[in-house]
Amino acid sequence: MLEMHNISKVYRTDMIETHALREFSLQVAAGEFVAVSGPSGSGKTTFLNVAGLLETFDGGTYRLDGQDVSGLSDNARARIRNEKIGFVFQSFNLIADLDIFDNVDVPLRYRRMKADERKARITNSLELVGLTSRMRHLPSQLSGGQQQRAAIARAIAGDPALILADEPTGNLDSLMARQIMGLLEKINSMGTTVVLVTHDPELARRAQRNIHVIDGLVADTVAPSDPAARGPHGQTHAESAVD
Amino acid sequence: MALTSHPLLSALRRNPTGAVLIALQIGITLAILVNAAAIVTRAIQKMSRPSGVDTRDTFVMTMVGLSKNFNVYSTSSADLAYLRHLPGVAAASIVFGTPLTDNGSDTSVGRSPGSRGPTVTSALLPVDQQGLRTLDVALIAGRNFRGSEIRVPSAAHPDPRIGEVIVTQALAHALFAHQSALGQTIYVGSHTPSTIIGITRNFMGPQLGQHAYDTVLAPEIVTQYDMYDLLVRTRPGQRAAVFRAAKRHIGTADPNAVIGQAVTFAHAKRLLYSGLRDLAIFLSFLTLVMLALCCLGIFGLGTFNVATRTRQIGIRRALGARRRDIVALFLAENALVVAIGAIFGCLLALAIGQWLTDHDGVARLDPWYLLVGVAILALTSQLAAWQPARRAARIPPSVATRTI
Ligand SMILES: Nc1ncnc2c1ncn2[C@@H]1O[C@H](COP(=O)(O)OP(=O)(O)O)[C@@H](O)[C@H]1O
Ligand SMILES: [Mg+2]
Repeated sequence: MLEMHNISKVYRTDMIETHALREFSLQVAAGEFVAVSGPSGSGKTTFLNVAGLLETFDGGTYRLDGQDVSGLSDNARARIRNEKIGFVFQSFNLIADLDIFDNVDVPLRYRRMKADERKARITNSLELVGLTSRMRHLPSQLSGGQQQRAAIARAIAGDPALILADEPTGNLDSLMARQIMGLLEKINSMGTTVVLVTHDPELARRAQRNIHVIDGLVADTVAPSDPAARGPHGQTHAESAVD
Repeated sequence: MALTSHPLLSALRRNPTGAVLIALQIGITLAILVNAAAIVTRAIQKMSRPSGVDTRDTFVMTMVGLSKNFNVYSTSSADLAYLRHLPGVAAASIVFGTPLTDNGSDTSVGRSPGSRGPTVTSALLPVDQQGLRTLDVALIAGRNFRGSEIRVPSAAHPDPRIGEVIVTQALAHALFAHQSALGQTIYVGSHTPSTIIGITRNFMGPQLGQHAYDTVLAPEIVTQYDMYDLLVRTRPGQRAAVFRAAKRHIGTADPNAVIGQAVTFAHAKRLLYSGLRDLAIFLSFLTLVMLALCCLGIFGLGTFNVATRTRQIGIRRALGARRRDIVALFLAENALVVAIGAIFGCLLALAIGQWLTDHDGVARLDPWYLLVGVAILALTSQLAAWQPARRAARIPPSVATRTI
């Protein structure tokens, strides 16, 4: 699904150059659930931005769903974001002016989908996250957990192949965090690839594979040697600890 | 889905103050634009009407007697004789009141005596038998006055009856429509009848206004006010020299008379239209300023919206909006504001137009002006919104993950 090879990304300002990613290589297979962790400033968000075509990269190769995405036009990148990728952000990023229904509608409208199909998809995804009764509420009228569920509904409404989530539980208490994690697992179980950046070792442990990023490099990858070792509640090997 | 829940409207509903103010501004601008355009167009139409006289080569001098010793008969005859022999003069004549000069008298003309039946307000232009030639106005029917028909009223015979008259084509039509006016009897400001002996092509009388082309010419040298007008037409290109020479000679020929006023027709025409022209310039300028302020307001609102919605734009870009989708969003929002403003502006424009019709007798506002006004405003406002929209489209999608 996602094949990155020796990706580098440099931020240049007048004064400084920041090598946010260097020789960053990672492969994520279709249907996988990968957790990415690492210290603050290590390049996790940069990795997600490059992976999600929100930003370009400076060197290396990146194939998304089999397609080489370097050198694509801005419009082509927008189209891939719209069709293949669902984003979940730490600060929810719902559009405050729009109610939940219209928020979920946003990516579908940019896909020029017909009204009745949009409506069906919006209702389905809101049902999946359990927000059908709140679809005419404004984001400000919902709790943080509900807002993040709405954001997940928006991310999956277009039926993307890949979900990229940047610390989606960072602003939530642990109960809500576990709810969100449960939702992401449910979506993954239906076949969608999920890449989750998280600080929370408990949540990371529930992923099939843990990536550790330090200083713009993949430091180590920990995968359960035996899939059976990964319990239904996310318990896994002690050595897969992330900190 | 009902319009009230359209996403475009929800954004406006959440923050309506700026949009409402701009819509108001657009409405007021439209109302003024439309009515000003109608007034300016009418002014231009009026100013571009043909005068029908030779404005390039004609001038007029008003002579005023100053003392009891002033003999209007001898002085005017001497002036006329001098002018007719001056090289470069094509024709000269004694008249009382002249086209374009705002100097002349009005009378009412009807087909029945006194105020019985309808009358037409017309200019009354007393001329001698050289009058038409000097004005360079051709007859299209009938004949000119004969020398024997020119009356010179005196203290002994004040206000003699007018026997024969010549009328303009416009006046003939106003009185007799498609009937032939030649030989018909009309009543010129009195109960005594006159006969139409000639019809001229149209030329403008002393004043602007509805009856500018309705003129009746009477064979008369008016002298009872110790004043007369010397009308002079020169050969092409000779006006300046003749005007100078005539002023020098006639101004000093009789110590008992002075030149009250000496103007060329070209200058008189400019003066006559100066009020209209100033009004047209002022209204155009006012409209342009309002339009510019409107664009500034729209530009400001757009800039404000981009600044306050940076994150939202980034999110939309992350979710798959292309740059042109962002431009379209901002232009659509602007179009909505303009549409609301335009509806309000149309109503206001009609109300102002109605008020002008009721109070100043201005013609009813042509709906075409509304249509064109809305089109102009829509276009300029979209142009004003264009730059902020472009700026919005340049906001990168990574804003969605980078700003908290
Ligand atoms: N737009 C940017 N301009 C300059 N430097 C940036 C920019 N975005 C991120 N960085 C830098 O890149 C490095 C990686 O940042 P980031 O990917 O956000 O880390 P993480 O998400 O792991 O906390 C940091 O040193 C950060 O300061
Ligand atoms: Mg980050």
